[in-house]
Amino acid sequence: MPLPLEGIRVLEVGTFVSAPYCGRLFAGYGAEVIKVEPPGGDLARAHGPFKDGEPNPETSALFLYLNTNKQSVELDLASQAGRDALLRLAADADVIIENFRPGDARALGLEYERLRAVNPRLVLVSITAYGQEGPYAEYRSNNLIAFAMGGQMFITGDPDREPVKNGGYQADYQGGLNAFSAANLALLAAERDGEGQHVDISVQHCMGPILEAGIPFYSYNGMWLGQRRGNLMSSFMGVYPCLDGQVGVHVMARNFPPFARATGHPEWLEDERFATAESRREHDDVLMAEVIAWAAGVTKKEAYALGGEHRAPITFIHTMKDLLESPQLASRGYLRRIDHPVAGEATYPGPPWWMGPDAWRDGPAPLLGEHTEAVLGEAGLSAAEVAAATGGPA
Amino acid sequence: MTAPLAGIRVVDLTMVWAGPLGTRLLGDYGAEVIKVEGPGQWDLLRGLGGIPRTEPRWYNRAAYFNHNNRNKYSAAIDLRQEAGRDLLLQLLAKSDVLVENYRANVMDNLGLSFEEVRQANPRIVYVSMPGHGKTGPEAHYVTYGTNVEQLAGLVSISGYEGGEPLKTGFSYGDPTSGIAVPAAVALGLRQRDRTGEAVHIDLAQRENLTGFVGEYLVDYSMNGEPRTPAGNTHPHMAPHGVYRSAGDDRWIAIACEDDEQFAGLCRAMQQPELADDARFATTASRKANEQELDEVIEAWTSRLGHYEAMHVLQRHGVPAGAVLTIPEVMSDPQLRSRGAWSEQVHPDAGAWEVETPPWNLPRTPGHARLPAPCFGEHNAYVFRDVLGLDEEAIARLYADGVTADEPNVQSHT
Repeated sequence: MPLPLEGIRVLEVGTFVSAPYCGRLFAGYGAEVIKVEPPGGDLARAHGPFKDGEPNPETSALFLYLNTNKQSVELDLASQAGRDALLRLAADADVIIENFRPGDARALGLEYERLRAVNPRLVLVSITAYGQEGPYAEYRSNNLIAFAMGGQMFITGDPDREPVKNGGYQADYQGGLNAFSAANLALLAAERDGEGQHVDISVQHCMGPILEAGIPFYSYNGMWLGQRRGNLMSSFMGVYPCLDGQVGVHVMARNFPPFARATGHPEWLEDERFATAESRREHDDVLMAEVIAWAAGVTKKEAYALGGEHRAPITFIHTMKDLLESPQLASRGYLRRIDHPVAGEATYPGPPWWMGPDAWRDGPAPLLGEHTEAVLGEAGLSAAEVAAATGGPA
Repeated sequence: MTAPLAGIRVVDLTMVWAGPLGTRLLGDYGAEVIKVEGPGQWDLLRGLGGIPRTEPRWYNRAAYFNHNNRNKYSAAIDLRQEAGRDLLLQLLAKSDVLVENYRANVMDNLGLSFEEVRQANPRIVYVSMPGHGKTGPEAHYVTYGTNVEQLAGLVSISGYEGGEPLKTGFSYGDPTSGIAVPAAVALGLRQRDRTGEAVHIDLAQRENLTGFVGEYLVDYSMNGEPRTPAGNTHPHMAPHGVYRSAGDDRWIAIACEDDEQFAGLCRAMQQPELADDARFATTASRKANEQELDEVIEAWTSRLGHYEAMHVLQRHGVPAGAVLTIPEVMSDPQLRSRGAWSEQVHPDAGAWEVETPPWNLPRTPGHARLPAPCFGEHNAYVFRDVLGLDEEAIARLYADGVTADEPNVQSHT
C-alpha cells in the first residue's frame, strides 16, 4: 500500500520549529519534502540540546527530531540566483511551507503572485505569529511571545507568581499542526480543480479561541475568573505530589464513585458533603486536602494502576524516562529507533496517528546540504547555477 | 469556489472538547457534520453552561457546548438499542467519515467496531481518537485533557525554573488533538479514494501530544539526562521572560534573540549604554547575568502598560508581546482586524460572539454558517431526507425511545 501522502512534493522554506514540524508530518506520511536551508543551516541546528552536550550542526536533538525523512538543499535566498533556483523548485511542488514575517518572506522570493505565475496549483502555507495582514503583521515574535499573545500564558502558573509558559516550544508546535491540517484541506481543493491558494495561518488566531471554556463563558455569560490556579485547580482536577513523583486527576462528576473506590475512600460516597457535584464544589477545600493526603501516600505507578483498575481518571506525570519505559507506547510500536550517520541511534516519537503498519516512515534527518546537488541537478540547474544559488564560487 | 470538504458527510459521535473541536473544524471547512447524541447520553457540556435548570431549554444554551458544536446538525439516536444501532449503520452507509472519541472498547461493545461499520460502508473513513489509542495494556484507562499532557511528557518539563512540574492552565490535550482531526480525515479520504477501501485511523491523544515534546525524547534517549522545568527562560537567549507591567497582574513578555534586538531594547528603555555594558554585551554574558538584567528591565516595564511597552519595543525591533487576559484576547486589535470573532444568532441562546474559522484559505474560505444545533433539531432531516424513512417508521422511533426531540434531563446531574 502506498504511503498516504506519496506523490506529494513539498518545499519547506522554514526555520526553527513551526514550519519544520508541519514538514515533518508531511515527510513522515510519505510526501517528498525538500528542506531549503540558508547557508550554514537552519537555526535549529545551532540550538541544543546536542549529543553529549557538544555543539554540532548535525547532532541537535531539536533539528534531528523535526527534520526526519527530509532532503536538505542549501540555498542562498538573499541572492537572485538563489531565488531563481527556488522558483524552479516551486514549479514542480504541490506545497510550500514557510514561517517568515510577511515582509521577510517576500524578500526571500516567497511572494504568492510570483509563485502562482510559475505554478497555479501550488499551495503556499504561511505560518506567522499574527497572519499576513493587520496592525501587528510585521511585529517580531517567537514561541514565548506567541504564548503570551495567544492568551494561554496568562492562565498558566501559580496565582501569586508571574504567568509562565509550558515546556518546550508549544506555540510553535500548535502552529505547525494547525498548518498541517489547513495545508491538507487546501491540497484536497487544489487536486479537485487544479487551483492552489495562499493559506494564511496566524498562530495567535489558532491559540486564542482554545482556552477551554474561557472564551465562551466570557463572551456569552460575561464571566471571567481572572486568575491562575497552578496545579491545584480544584479537588477534582489537579497535579499532586506523590511518593516518587506527581499524580494527576481529572474527575468529571460521573467519575467520582470510581475515584473514591480507586483511592480507597469509599466512605466519601456516604458523606453528604460529597454527594453531588455542587456539594463537592462547596466543600472543595476539604476534599482537596483528602486527595492531597491520599496522593502523598502512593507511588505514581500504584496510583496509575488503581486508576486503570477502577476506571478513574488518575495518571502520573510521565518523565522522558517513563515514556521510554511505557508498556503502552511499547505495545503500540509508537517509539522508533532511528540511526543517523553523525548523531547515531536515538529514540524518536512515531506518527501522531496510526493509519496502518505502512503509513509512516522512519528515516533520519538530512545532513546540511546533503541533497543540494541531486535536487537542483534534477531541476535542471547547471553546475555553475548550483554554485551561484548556494552562495559558493561560480 | 466550494469549500475543501464540500460534499463530505461526517457522523460525529464525539463529546466534550477534543472530538467536537475537530469535527467543528470539519464543518467550518465545508463538511456536513451530523452530531449524534443519545436521548439519555447527550454531550455533558450541555449541562455545564451555568444556566439554571429551571430555565426553559437550558440544555441548548450552554456557551461552551455551543462554541464547540457550530456548523453541525443534531440527531438523537439511542445507540444502546438495537434499532438505534441499525439506524446509525444506515446513516453511516450514506456517510464518508465517522469520528468517535470514546474510551477504547466502547464502540466495540456497542457493536459499532471498525469491522462492523465497514460491513455497512466498505468505504468509510473511521477515526477513533481515544486518550491512549485503541490497543495496548492501558487502552481501557479513562483519561481527559489534563491527563493527556501528563502522559505525553509535557508536564514533566513545564513549570517555574527549579520548581515542581506544572500543568498547563487548561486541558491542553484536548485542543491539540482536535486540530489534528482535519489532517487525519484528509489523509484518510485520500487513502480511501486511492484504494477504494475503508480506512481506520487511531489517533491516540497522548501520542499526538508526545509529538510536541519530541526533541526532549530524542535528547533523553541520546544523553540520558532528564531536563527540569525552565520557566520562561531559554537555554541560550536572554532576556527571555515576562516582566511586571503597570496595573494589577499585568505582564509583558520579552525575548531577545541576538545583540541587535538587545540594543533595540536598551534604546527603548533609554539606556543605550547598557548594550555595551560588559555584563550584557553578548548573548552569553546576558545569560550569565540574567537575573541582574531582568531587574533592570522590570524597573522600566513596571511603569508602562503591557500593550504600550509592546508597541514601543516593537518599534525598536524587539520581540515583545503583552500577556493577554481572556477579555483582552477578545478585544485585541490584531484579532479584531483579522476578523477572528463574529456575531452568531442561536434560536434558544440568542446573539453572541463566536470565533471564526482559524485558518484563512482565501479561495475556499471556511464559514460560521450554522449556530450549534439544539438537541435533536435535525431529526427530521436525518431520518426523512437522508435515510428516507416514512412517517410511520419515524413515529415508531419516537414511540420506542430510539430518538427524541428533548434530552432526558435526569441522565446527567
